[in-house]
Amino acid sequence: MQDKEKMYYSRKATLSLKISEFEVPPMQDLLIIGKKAPIGPEAVKRMAQALSPEQFTIVKLEHAKIEAVLIRNSLFQMLDEKVLMQIILEEADRLISDNMVLRSELKISVSVQREVEL
Amino acid sequence: MKVKDFMASPVYTVSSERSVQYVSDLMNELKVGSLVVMDYGMTVGIITSRDIRSSHPNRIVADAMTPIPISTSPDQFAWDALETMEQHRIERLLVVQEEQVLGIVTREALHIKLSQILDPLTGLYRAPYIQQIGEHFLNHRQYFELLFIDLNNFGKINKEYGHPMGDDILIEYSNRLRALTNERDYVCRYAGDEFVVITRSMENDAMRLADSLSQLTVLHNINMSASVGLANSRLVPDFFALSFRDLISKASLLSTSLKQSSAS
Repeated sequence: MQDKEKMYYSRKATLSLKISEFEVPPMQDLLIIGKKAPIGPEAVKRMAQALSPEQFTIVKLEHAKIEAVLIRNSLFQMLDEKVLMQIILEEADRLISDNMVLRSELKISVSVQREVEL
Repeated sequence: MKVKDFMASPVYTVSSERSVQYVSDLMNELKVGSLVVMDYGMTVGIITSRDIRSSHPNRIVADAMTPIPISTSPDQFAWDALETMEQHRIERLLVVQEEQVLGIVTREALHIKLSQILDPLTGLYRAPYIQQIGEHFLNHRQYFELLFIDLNNFGKINKEYGHPMGDDILIEYSNRLRALTNERDYVCRYAGDEFVVITRSMENDAMRLADSLSQLTVLHNINMSASVGLANSRLVPDFFALSFRDLISKASLLSTSLKQSSAS
């Protein structure tokens, strides 16, 4: 009888670890910062400078929803800034709300075909 | 009536890397409406309760503050500081001397204090305003022209058309004064139907202004003119040795004599 009345109490914790490599920089090629996003352009600029010095530029904008874009400098070497920004804004505008920060990978591949006289 | 008489001090500061949430809590604790943002001893901005309301609490101060805040000196006149705030549509000015932030002055504080020397009828400042400006220029031996303007036959208008019409004439004449003066001029309703203008313009311009102000003009279908007494360092010997009160007396006596000669 006494054994049946015994109470058992235990507390256990189960741990689960998922380990993966931290990408440097974590923001890939672009960050598009909404006007009411939890992180603003200055903080993003400081973060980028700390993680990947001299590799990113912040471009502040006059836009209804987007406050600024952080962009990898090397992209500007491949394409004209105006052209690039116009494409980014056109595409981001459809997805973003003013409280979001979007991360984007942007790869530019150039294909060249030349003909020479034989 | 200098900025230093109305500024709030000490100034509380925060660094630009703190969060908006932290600043909000700090402002509540200190019961202040703004904090000066300083990095490494340099003033980089100002963050106000309005900035906090429009920013996400996770943002850092650098992303919510107003950078490069507009400042004033402690010895600037309160009305000039108020004008600066109105021009820039801001609520606060930093009070800075030799790159040191001494305090903050708010539009509300200046408004409340300056409304005490504002004439409710005409919206012009009253005598204490011009007194302070005149004394300031005298103390600093800075050239100025003093115009004492006395409306002619104003008592008669009050008697013939009633005091409300008299008030309308004063309002209209004040508007005329505003229109004829510029940013180099200081205008006040000195008393009753008397106005004083201090101008930093040259004598010729001051004479032209005096002439325009004394011209016959029609206000509310009534012909009005004024007698204008002018005092400056050329016309009044020992100009800078006299008190402002003495200069007012000289200019007002001159306007009275002009009035008498025009009446005769």
